[in-house]
Amino acid sequence: MNMIEFRNVTKIYEDKTAALKNVSLTIKKGEFVFLVGPSGSGKSTMIKLLIREIPVSGGAVFVAGRNICNLKQSRIPQLRRNIGSVFQDFKLLPNKTVFENVAFAFEVIGKPTYIIKLQVPQVLKLVGLEHKLQSYPHQLSAGEQQRVSIARAFVNRPPILLADEPTGNLDPVTSDGIMKLLSRINLIGTTVAMATHDKNIVNSMRRRVIELEEGEIIRDQKRGVYGI
Amino acid sequence: MKRNFLMFFTAISTVAITLFIVGFFLIIVYDVQSVLTSIKSQVEVAVYLKDNITDELKGYLENEIKGWDEVAEVTYVSKDQALEKFKKDNEGSEILKEIQGNPLPASFEIELTSPEKVEQIALRFVDKDGNFIEGVDEVIYGQNYVQKLFSITAIAGSIAFLIIIMLLLAAIVLVFNTIRLSIHARRKEIEVMKLVGATNWFVRIPFLFEGFFEGFVGSLISVILLYFMSNYLLIRGEKAIVDTMHVKELAILGTNNVILYIYAGIVVLGGLVGLLSSSFALKRYIRV
Repeated sequence: MNMIEFRNVTKIYEDKTAALKNVSLTIKKGEFVFLVGPSGSGKSTMIKLLIREIPVSGGAVFVAGRNICNLKQSRIPQLRRNIGSVFQDFKLLPNKTVFENVAFAFEVIGKPTYIIKLQVPQVLKLVGLEHKLQSYPHQLSAGEQQRVSIARAFVNRPPILLADEPTGNLDPVTSDGIMKLLSRINLIGTTVAMATHDKNIVNSMRRRVIELEEGEIIRDQKRGVYGI
Repeated sequence: MKRNFLMFFTAISTVAITLFIVGFFLIIVYDVQSVLTSIKSQVEVAVYLKDNITDELKGYLENEIKGWDEVAEVTYVSKDQALEKFKKDNEGSEILKEIQGNPLPASFEIELTSPEKVEQIALRFVDKDGNFIEGVDEVIYGQNYVQKLFSITAIAGSIAFLIIIMLLLAAIVLVFNTIRLSIHARRKEIEVMKLVGATNWFVRIPFLFEGFFEGFVGSLISVILLYFMSNYLLIRGEKAIVDTMHVKELAILGTNNVILYIYAGIVVLGGLVGLLSSSFALKRYIRV
């Protein structure tokens, strides 16, 4: 089953830059995919299209078999509840504790309090932060903050997890930890797509690699490496 | 909410201060208008009659005047009544001793429904040669002063109206900007909410409530300030106006309870401006 499909997708921004040119690809359920390529090659654009942060200029994007390009504005929240997203800058709320930051994703979709109290500590244990529930983001290291953001993305158990340079701000050892975490999340069936610059990570993981350059796919390789 | 206290406090005090100024100015403008209206309504035409006027002519004139649309009331003051009034007005004055007989004329005092027409009325007592008609000795209505008064009240009215509109606009812009800033300060929160799948209404409602609450509380504070201001300061001015000029319909002391309408208006306005400001300010941030 195709979890994600780009069918002849073109994206031209308002300033006329073409971020994606006629891109087609499919990602199956349970796959782990790296999107690699230099800055401005279109990796982040793909992620933004998937969560409908921006609309396509041409072609169509499918998530779990559904064309999300003609999704009504009111259906977009539903789409995002099924896609966890992780970013380079974590996007944590500085005035909320670790617990509150993760619980936030639950509150937003109206989960009852007892479920929040039960499941938030569980997912924080999964990312190894069960002892930091009451800390604030500024009291954590960058790696720990990224773990919180992964916990928040994963707490709903979405079928898809998107990560846009999740290790961009982290040192190699910390990055390793984050990758192990993403692998575990992938192992329990979550489809993971990760945009990255990090050569070492891509080379050590040996997963599918899709390389973009100036908005076009120039390589799609199973068990690939970062580049030649 | 406690962590956003500063923004919250800023928004509330902005509402309170701006609406207080609007309210304060409204009271003053209302009072000034009342005084002017009262002065205008006191404009009347006095038609002094010749001593030798026949009863027949007098009765004819009285009926004639009563038939005019612009006339609210006609009072005949006889020579005796005029003297009596004069004595009463000048009680204890030296001047009374010097009066011999009754030098005062009888007169018609005409009150008008539309004081602006005073000149036209006065001119009806003059024939085409410029002399007063038979039986009339003189017509007095404060010729120069009345015209000036009317042009001044007209100008004052439009200036006051303009100033109130400007003040209101300034208040709305200030409140809108304050609320917009407080939403801007929390744009990251909105972004994250949208990313984890919050619906627009889920994001919007707390902000709308907060905007309304800020507007409402701010306007309540301005009403409380106005209340004390009215009861301890403005009311003294109004009492002085009532005592010296006998103006009845003032904002605080009047029987129409204008002050209560001003209070209610401010609270409604405050809540509404808060709510609408949030709603408009959110538009920009909610589309993620």
